[in-house]
Amino acid sequence: MKTVKILGSGCANCRKLESVARAAALGAGVQADFIKVTHHNDILAYDIVATPALVIDEKVVCSGRIPTQAEVAQWLGAGA
Amino acid sequence: MNFMLPLLQGGAGNLAAYLAAHVLLCLLPAFFIAGAMTALIPKPAITRWLGRKTPRHISYPAAAAAGSLLAVCSCTIVPLFAGIHRKGAGLGPAITFLFFAPAGNVLALAYTGSILGAEFALARLTLCLLFGIGIGLLMAVIFRSDDARHDHETDGMFAAEAEIGTAAVGVLFALLGVLLAGTLQIALLKESVLTLTLPISGAQAWQTQLLQWVPFDAANGEEGVSVQGSILIALLLLLGAVAWKGMENITEGANRWTWVALVLAAATLLFATFSVVPADGRLDVSITGRVLAEGVALAAVVWFARGLAASAWQSWMWESWRFVKQIFPLLLAGVFVVGMARQVIEPVWIESLAGSNDLKGNAIAVLFGVFMYFPTLVEVPVARMFLDLGMHPGPLLAYLMADPELSLQSMVIIAAVIGWRKAMTYVGWVALFSTTAGLLYGGWVDAFRSTM
Repeated sequence: MKTVKILGSGCANCRKLESVARAAALGAGVQADFIKVTHHNDILAYDIVATPALVIDEKVVCSGRIPTQAEVAQWLGAGA
Repeated sequence: MNFMLPLLQGGAGNLAAYLAAHVLLCLLPAFFIAGAMTALIPKPAITRWLGRKTPRHISYPAAAAAGSLLAVCSCTIVPLFAGIHRKGAGLGPAITFLFFAPAGNVLALAYTGSILGAEFALARLTLCLLFGIGIGLLMAVIFRSDDARHDHETDGMFAAEAEIGTAAVGVLFALLGVLLAGTLQIALLKESVLTLTLPISGAQAWQTQLLQWVPFDAANGEEGVSVQGSILIALLLLLGAVAWKGMENITEGANRWTWVALVLAAATLLFATFSVVPADGRLDVSITGRVLAEGVALAAVVWFARGLAASAWQSWMWESWRFVKQIFPLLLAGVFVVGMARQVIEPVWIESLAGSNDLKGNAIAVLFGVFMYFPTLVEVPVARMFLDLGMHPGPLLAYLMADPELSLQSMVIIAAVIGWRKAMTYVGWVALFSTTAGLLYGGWVDAFRSTM
């Protein structure tokens, strides 16, 4: 079971990132909990400057851009 | 109903006139530029100059540059402000960034220039830059003890190095060329090189029909829709539909519709640069200098874009499309409402409140800016309406400075990041500086007019 966090204030990019991540998890058959982190204090607890950011099991895998489904699937598989 | 009809007609007419005339040559390239800046300029390339160990003469201009290059709407500005402040940037540069970004970014400047004139855009840029740095320095001095406490925070965040690729720089400059070729009002671009006469007999009748649907009063600052404008509106609608299919999943790779959308966008831009004049039984189509310049600039964009990596290219397209989706609907709604409001507001009211460049006029303009919240960019058509209704350019600039910075909504968010005491001090300074900016610009305009 993975924990996937999506950091961002709820703008278009974060919603896009969430849909990409969900599709990737579904496609790779990985069980994951999705948590949206929207409050800026919680977001800044992570070492990022720009949102949207993707955090998998408390590790920032990408920030400031939207990854492809294939990339996310790889990150989800890496720590398994 | 009798009361509503002219209102709706005013709104629809304003919308049609804006879509046809202004939007294309300015906003279409500007959306692509904004997208390219967000996607292709790595953020550490600029934010590394914001660390507190950087000398002031570098960190403040860098903060302003960050404002104009990295952020376009308040959705990006406030989170970035919170981010750079928390990560250890001084309060001063963070405030400069916050003040400059809504007015100094490329979308706002291009749009201001095309609707209110290049002079206004230049005044807005210069005064926002000066006062943004001024307010940042003042805030840093007033709250220096608080700021020093902030000092133990890490500087490491800003040490990251990043390079901007040559292809990305080329794309940015070529896009800027597209914007300038489409909007600059100089004789060289307006001159006609070759005129073709097409035997299209319906053109004149169509123009008469358009005038009937969208009646306008030039004296009142209203604009009608031309034959060319009506075709452009049709092209824009088509482009919107195609872009939806081609851009929505661009991060996963381009599809057939992506290419259709891009070709259509370029064709629409190019068509808008032709001069099209209907006459009796024929249609005169002229190739102007603008057509050639726009064509060269578009070709340059394509040439440089081929050097971009697929992921960079795709995220550029996605960011541009995201800006369109986010800003364009609000802009359309705003322009429609402004068109309706224009039917109701009497020029006398505006003239008596802010018709001349005095303290009262400028203060009222700033107050109006604070209490009325308009979405990103909508302040520009609103300002145009005021200008047409007789507002003095001085108070108008004061309004343009205050409105994007000081809505009640953004005050609440800023206060959440830096506390109410600092937020209120900031608001006070912005109000004071905006009023001063209006007085200065108004005085300059008056002096210029009297020497003419």
